[in-house]
Amino acid sequence: MNSYKFRQVFKENIGINNPVFVQILGICSTLAVTNVLRNTVVMCAGLVFVTGLSNLTVSALRKYIPGRVRMMVETLIIAAYVIIVDVVLKAYIPDISRQLGPYVGLIITNCIIMGRAEAFALSNPPGLSLVDGLTSGLGYSYVLLIIAFLRELLGTGSIWGVRVLGAWWTNWNIMIMAPGAFFMLALFIWVVKGNFMKEKKAQGPASTPAPQAVSTGGKS
Amino acid sequence: MNDNKKANKLRRSLFTIFFMFAVTFVFISVLSLIYVLTRDTIRLNESLVVKRAVLYVAGLEVPQSGIEADALYRDRVREVKDGQGVVLYYEILNAKGGSVQSYVLPVLGAGLWGEIEAVVGVEKDLKTLTGIEFIKQNETPGLGGRITESWFKEQFRGKRWPLQSVPEGEPTGDQEFQAITGATNTVNGVKGILNDRLAKAEQAIKAPE
Repeated sequence: MNSYKFRQVFKENIGINNPVFVQILGICSTLAVTNVLRNTVVMCAGLVFVTGLSNLTVSALRKYIPGRVRMMVETLIIAAYVIIVDVVLKAYIPDISRQLGPYVGLIITNCIIMGRAEAFALSNPPGLSLVDGLTSGLGYSYVLLIIAFLRELLGTGSIWGVRVLGAWWTNWNIMIMAPGAFFMLALFIWVVKGNFMKEKKAQGPASTPAPQAVSTGGKS
Repeated sequence: MNDNKKANKLRRSLFTIFFMFAVTFVFISVLSLIYVLTRDTIRLNESLVVKRAVLYVAGLEVPQSGIEADALYRDRVREVKDGQGVVLYYEILNAKGGSVQSYVLPVLGAGLWGEIEAVVGVEKDLKTLTGIEFIKQNETPGLGGRITESWFKEQFRGKRWPLQSVPEGEPTGDQEFQAITGATNTVNGVKGILNDRLAKAEQAIKAPE
């Protein structure tokens, strides 16, 4: 029963209910930090940390949090973890922290985290919530990493700052700029929905509509 | 019955306030602790951004470790400040004699989207550049933002100002540098900063001597 639930959570967040390409959440950072792979990895690590632990904390406190102030408490918890990430980045990898600029702080407003806290952590035990948070973060991360990989490759001819395409390659400058992110994300969603999501939809359209309702809180 | 309800409501409100207070208190305490633990490292990192830049444009090899870079900076760089403590320029000292070997100037000017803050190194003649490093810039990523790429910065070493730009990829003379395709305004900004500010800095350094 339990391991079934864990697997279910995993499948939802990585695939059929992926925060980025199904729920279209966390788009702001998807567009902003995917021009260089190295920054994306750091951003994703930060986000996985925050979603996992904030879900865990909210879930552990869920029986005590008064209903009326639950959003305040959630925001407080999320903000605390984000500040921890920000401080640690500033102290130990200052140059990446400088490049990410405000986007680390903006993890606080990432809808995925608040969404998972509201939709999942408030009604599930801590262990399962932790897994849900981590897998949501991973579901977000792998999409970003794929986009960042393609953008850096096409935009600068390099991967992780190392030139991999020869001198014959003309950099597609637009890939590093914001429009490139829109194109890449749209193409990604198109390819995934066109090729992988069709059958699953035919099988069971009843796959938990609950998180969708949460996504109305603005798409950051 | 009514009184009981009121009391209940009050109790719940008080609990809510107490709960908020307690949660906030716990999280703020944890954050303060982390802040205190990392404060010195962060401060060092922030000061190192400028220090590393100064060493880099002076043509010195910048050590990886922050402490070593800091030591080298203290060893080789003398800050010349005005009355308010603002750094006017940096004097790079000789490894042995301690005499001035070259200068590094903080410069500031308009880019396309915002201010470009940089440090520029010049030889003792105040004409030959030893390097340039950008400390703050908000240029378009992928276009003007490429001024931070190593090939762009490195090409200034040994050039003499006033500088002119040539199209990207073309050979450059003694007073020319390669522009960035698609970033004309940024490149013009950089060129202006270099030529104007260096002329002013030249006067500033020469004046007291």
